Amino acid sequence: MTKLLQIELYKIFKKPRTYISFGIVAAIAFVIQLAMTAGGKEYLDFGLQGVSEQFDIQGKILNGYLVAYLILQSLLIHIPLLVALVAGDAIAGEANMGTLRLLLTQPISRTQVVLVKWLASIIYSIALIVWLAIVALFLSLLIFGRGDMINLKSDTFILILKDDVMWRYAGAFAFASLAMTTIVSLSILLSAFTDNGIGPIVATMGIVIVLTILSNLELPLFKMIRPYLFTTHMIGWKGFFDDPVPYRSIGKSAIALGVYTLGMLLATIAYFNKKDIRS
Amino acid sequence: MFILHCLNFRNLHPIVEVKNLSKSFGSFQAVCDLSFAIEQGQVYGLLGQNGAGKSTTMRMMLGLIFPDKGSVHIKGKEFNSNNIQLLQHIGAIIEKPDMYLYLSGWENLKIFAALGKNKISKARLSEIFEQVGLSGREKDIVKAYSQGMKQRLGIAIAMVHDPELLILDEPTNGLDPQGIAEMRALIISLSKEHGKTVLISSHLLYEIEQMATHMVVLHKGKKIAGGRVDELMHPDETLVDIIIEPRVGNLISIESSSWGQRLVSASERALTFKLNREIVPELVKWLADEGVGILEVRSKHSLEAYFLSLTND
Amino acid sequence: MSRKTLWLVLLLLVVQAGLHAAEAEQLYYAIRSKVLSVKDYTADVKIKVDVAYMKVPLLKGILYFKAPDKMRLERDGGVSILPKKNVNLTLSNLIPTGNVTVIDAGTATEKGKTYRILKVIPEDDQNNIVLTKMWVDEANLLVMRTETTTHNDGTIVMTLEYAAYSKYALPDKVVIHMDLKDYKLPKGMTMDYEDSGKPEATEKMKGPQKGTIEIRYLNYTVNSGLSDAVFQKGN
Repeated sequence: MTKLLQIELYKIFKKPRTYISFGIVAAIAFVIQLAMTAGGKEYLDFGLQGVSEQFDIQGKILNGYLVAYLILQSLLIHIPLLVALVAGDAIAGEANMGTLRLLLTQPISRTQVVLVKWLASIIYSIALIVWLAIVALFLSLLIFGRGDMINLKSDTFILILKDDVMWRYAGAFAFASLAMTTIVSLSILLSAFTDNGIGPIVATMGIVIVLTILSNLELPLFKMIRPYLFTTHMIGWKGFFDDPVPYRSIGKSAIALGVYTLGMLLATIAYFNKKDIRS
Repeated sequence: MFILHCLNFRNLHPIVEVKNLSKSFGSFQAVCDLSFAIEQGQVYGLLGQNGAGKSTTMRMMLGLIFPDKGSVHIKGKEFNSNNIQLLQHIGAIIEKPDMYLYLSGWENLKIFAALGKNKISKARLSEIFEQVGLSGREKDIVKAYSQGMKQRLGIAIAMVHDPELLILDEPTNGLDPQGIAEMRALIISLSKEHGKTVLISSHLLYEIEQMATHMVVLHKGKKIAGGRVDELMHPDETLVDIIIEPRVGNLISIESSSWGQRLVSASERALTFKLNREIVPELVKWLADEGVGILEVRSKHSLEAYFLSLTND
Repeated sequence: MSRKTLWLVLLLLVVQAGLHAAEAEQLYYAIRSKVLSVKDYTADVKIKVDVAYMKVPLLKGILYFKAPDKMRLERDGGVSILPKKNVNLTLSNLIPTGNVTVIDAGTATEKGKTYRILKVIPEDDQNNIVLTKMWVDEANLLVMRTETTTHNDGTIVMTLEYAAYSKYALPDKVVIHMDLKDYKLPKGMTMDYEDSGKPEATEKMKGPQKGTIEIRYLNYTVNSGLSDAVFQKGN
């Protein structure tokens, strides 16, 4: 299995398309960092006006931790697409290329093929998250320095002491990795159904977007189904920046994502083991 | 006796046995109740028109498609998803050989070499490249390969684990005449010199005739003939093409004669007869006596004649 | 009672009132003098913010003060949250300077201790302070509570506790009580996460809100001659 995994990773990282994702992540982070360098103070003054009416907030508010959080807020909507770019292509791309039939005539089981592609896609998505950590967090810290972190919620102003932030980011990135595992599983499931590499990528994004909208609409019907949508649980990483950290809630979300991940993986294996390969 | 029995054990089972295979896709019956067996060392031809079920049969033999009924046995063991390791005895190209276009030939071969149980050395990989005639082009990206080179690389990938059985679906497709000749020579050498068993499908019946010792003929998913090539062919029957000088009235006189019954097709410049090889000189003499200017006489491949006779509705 | 006796009693009352007023004024100036004797100080502080819509941990820092109104909280790059700038934390800014009218407002007893209540009204109309009501520990010349009404910043209520630095009238603990306005976040700025805590927070926010900022002073360095440069440093 290790050898197979090495081969899959080799194939993924030999494709130029793989590096586009890393480039996009760096570009978005850079754009936000540039924007915050130029107009960060005004942005924060605007955001803090509700609190500033009665309180004097002083200190290094515009710091690397806050900027990293802002980057994460925007990027963790886009990262699923970048993950789908690789995972959605995992099976369908090979079918499209014609290499799937060549692969399946080797003495490796279809279950192994699915598992190894799933694992390789997860490793890729973790690599993307690590890269995100580097450009969003460490680079922001380098540019903007350390400081206490503020978290502006619609009804609460939260201050997190600078020595209390790093472990939260570790938790957030770990959770984000888990969330991306769910996206990987979804993409690979869709990838198993088709011989066209683009279809699963677009379908993954379509599903994520529609379910995200459902997760956010304040209508009674959607409120009922919200706990059952995996997109509701994908933003659990934000809980690490709350006070107190809602561990129970984060734990429930992690379990929900785990269940979805496992369910979709098993569905992929079951379907793929029965599928006639006509590509 | 016991020792001899053991020695012969490997010949007790055919290397591949297909039993009552059937497969339909919706309402379309692709393969119907197909059975045949390939013995070690044979070059087995799978013949049929487009859509006859050749590729589907090969895919079922390799586990790419699941038959509705029937079974495939490899070296005496039933092949299914529980003993996928039986595939280590088989190397295959199904339809056109597709590989990772963004990788080099060497990288492609290395990947497939790594998927087997045994470690394949760099020297062996180089040897394979030389065998298929790709020496010096290993490091080129496959995207830059010609169709013929891709075909060769496909054979290399099929051979990389030194399998006992090679399943080659139209291996000469897209090759130029020299390429076809080289591919044919390679396949024959794999069989004769390396003791490989080969199952080959091709539309170039002349190629099958040159290479195959045994064959199965498929028509609309059904086996309509099978056995030794030399036994199946009717040596006496042949198709003869006669190239003539165009002249008004040529056709009328031929069609109205006794030779007309043997006329398969006719145009101003060419006539095709299906007849016993021994009476060809008699036909030629008659045509000359009738004033038909004969430019060329050539015999069509006997296997093609046989195939056409089997499959013409 | 004869007319003469009545006039005598009235005279005595007036004199007594006058004496009380003078005494109150004396007390006020004595306190003010004690407070204003501190020209500058540096103190380690722990600040606790207790506001319904804010979740702020205990903030540790160093507070610099230089009379009359320079103040800076140093948190080694961290964020500080204090009542709005114009509302100074120091007693010295809540006790009006210049000419004032001091009214004796009687006494009050709290937890077994009796405090004199003084109302101080600055005579200068330009002063931000309109009126300061002070609860005074007369024996120790310490202000225990102030309610200061200002032109620009509403009413500030401050309670103080003293220990080691009472001789300088420097408190160990100060609690600033505030009336809070509704918290509003501009649209599009929210970094929300939907968790179970939300309904409770919303519940807490209903109705007029009050909040407190509690400052504990751990140790003081008094009158060390702080330069103005200390208050210019970037945050």
